[in-house]
Amino acid sequence: MTIPTGRHALAADTAKADGVYEWLSARLSLYLRRAPESIDPAVPLAEYGMDSVAALSLCGDLEEEFGLEVEPTLLWDFPTVSALVRHLTAVLPDVPADPAAARGQS
Amino acid sequence: MSESRFATFTELLRARTAELADEDVHVFLRDTADGPVAEHLTYGELDREARRIAACLQSYGVAEQPVLLAYSSTVEFLKGFAGCLYAGAVAVPVPLPGEAGRDKRLNRTTAVLKDTGAAVVLTETDAAPEVALWLARNTRSTAECLVTDVSEIGDPEAWRPVAARGDDLVFLQYTSGSVSEPRGVTVSHRNLLANQASLKKLLHTTREDVFGSWLPYFHDMGLVAHLLHPVYLGSHSVQVTPLSFVKRPLRWLQAIDEYGVTVGGGPNFCYDLCVHRVKDEQIAALDLSRWRLALNGAEPVRAESLDAFAERFAPAGFRPEALRPCYGLAEATLVVSGGEPGTPYVRKEFDQAELERDRAEAAGTETRRRTLVGCGVPVDTDVRIVDPLTHHELPPGAVGEIWVRGYSVARGYWRRPTETVRTFLAAVNDEESNFLRTGDLGMMVDGELFVTGRLKEVIIINGRNVYPQDVEWAARTVSPALTFGAGAAFSVDAGREHLVLVQEVRGVADSTELRTVAQKIQALIGQEFEIPAGNILLVRPGAVRRTSSGKVQRTLMRKLFLDGVVRGEYEVLTPDVWALARAEDVLFGGDLLRPEGADGGRRW
Repeated sequence: MTIPTGRHALAADTAKADGVYEWLSARLSLYLRRAPESIDPAVPLAEYGMDSVAALSLCGDLEEEFGLEVEPTLLWDFPTVSALVRHLTAVLPDVPADPAAARGQS
Repeated sequence: MSESRFATFTELLRARTAELADEDVHVFLRDTADGPVAEHLTYGELDREARRIAACLQSYGVAEQPVLLAYSSTVEFLKGFAGCLYAGAVAVPVPLPGEAGRDKRLNRTTAVLKDTGAAVVLTETDAAPEVALWLARNTRSTAECLVTDVSEIGDPEAWRPVAARGDDLVFLQYTSGSVSEPRGVTVSHRNLLANQASLKKLLHTTREDVFGSWLPYFHDMGLVAHLLHPVYLGSHSVQVTPLSFVKRPLRWLQAIDEYGVTVGGGPNFCYDLCVHRVKDEQIAALDLSRWRLALNGAEPVRAESLDAFAERFAPAGFRPEALRPCYGLAEATLVVSGGEPGTPYVRKEFDQAELERDRAEAAGTETRRRTLVGCGVPVDTDVRIVDPLTHHELPPGAVGEIWVRGYSVARGYWRRPTETVRTFLAAVNDEESNFLRTGDLGMMVDGELFVTGRLKEVIIINGRNVYPQDVEWAARTVSPALTFGAGAAFSVDAGREHLVLVQEVRGVADSTELRTVAQKIQALIGQEFEIPAGNILLVRPGAVRRTSSGKVQRTLMRKLFLDGVVRGEYEVLTPDVWALARAEDVLFGGDLLRPEGADGGRRW
């Protein structure tokens, strides 16, 4: 068994955060009806027209994709993409399997 | 078996519970960590529970008085509702009041409590702490909270039947009216029975039909079509919670498959949610072939949504002719018109320019066109298209206000005589009276009703009726810079309905600060009103037009916005709305001046 050094752990975390970010932007792009690259990670999602239906939809996705039970208030507690990625990277057990599959249909 | 022999819904309910005692009337799918768990209610249990609850209610002397019903389980709600009927009380279905700490002035349940002056609120054990806390905070109310699923409350043998008449009220529907001015539609037994008969005639429903819904019980379409119509027929219904549906629309479709649901539907947006949120492999595992009526009503019906749904769910055996656009409103109990089951719904292409002049002309090859979905033929109701100013009836093909008369039309609004006269007692051509003014605009083309727009200012998004004055009021609370500024909230149609808020701001010039103010408004509307607030314009004082008496001119502001005249000191627009209201900027190169970022300036 190898114990990851600080650098490795950091690299793994970055990869995990990237995966979360990619999955999240794909879902948000669908709910907010705009291109993923037009969503600034530092801007509150409310500014793009985030409402409770979109917020609950994302909660449903998180439960379904990752088996993660989240409170419906998640998107108001972590109002930007950056904040959400930080939070999810910390609480998710593993990197999302396949961001392309998670994108689903639109 | 004929329903016409009943003078009240209570008589009908008593007959059904006696003849079908061992059969299910309802199945509630409770959300648990392990997925949905079914809770069954039989007609016999419903009768026994209703007698027990009614006996308890009778000790409070609630005959002909409003009683609020706030539940999370529809099994418990149905028992409480039947208990009200058995006690001769007027049932008032309301949403749970919500978590403590919410702004009381925005709370619809509080508004209904005040407007009805109800002395009793019924609830269940799970929700009791929330309801009790809410009542304790409403110092002006002395209403009692009764927890109806505690079996020690009430003795079924102590219940004394009440002699009700057809004209007695059976429930109040608070789906119309703003939070600041709630309006409870007073539905009588006669209204309810008439509308149930209309539903049966329109949908060709029988006892063999199974109903499946995710709509809340306090929504007119949820209550009248999905919970009470099955009782009327002696059939049963299956209920998925609204929260579970919005989180995972698949849950509703799975219930339709598993329970052999034949009739079920909701507002247009729920079909969009299914299209976007259910995956190919999930569709492959579904059988929707028994679903014969997918009702679509309560918000504007869009052809694109219907097409997309039919195509996406065809692999699950869904039949396109099952899609059934309808028109109705709480003031007419529920349904007014709908198409013939088993036939494809009607759609027509109209010339947009002619529609803007309030006339229906088939679209030519060179013209701008607008596709409208027909809402079917009026059933048991006298529907007229009327000039809203002169009150003269208009000929077929002309756009005017939709007026309705019939036994389903309620008597009025609870304790609001002025609004009742204005809305429920209108006269066509100064001759024929007792018409309901719906506030919706539409036209009759070849006997089919087409809804084209809205005269009233209500905004309908996600199947939710939102009143501009509520949004404007709430927005002003987020910053002192807005306290004395006027605001105008309205909706525009950019592929779907979008909310736009134009709000005056004082004493803030810094763009970062303005943006922070806008974001606060957006977060508040998104969370409290549960609709997207992607379009906010913060304008200079005086930019929001008002009449000499100070009334905000929302219709004028909407026009000025669409014409590109209203510009914000700071503004944020969604891509769709930007394309609609700022299209000329592209022609004149104005978009080059727009900063990059979250301003919706980029289109895709």
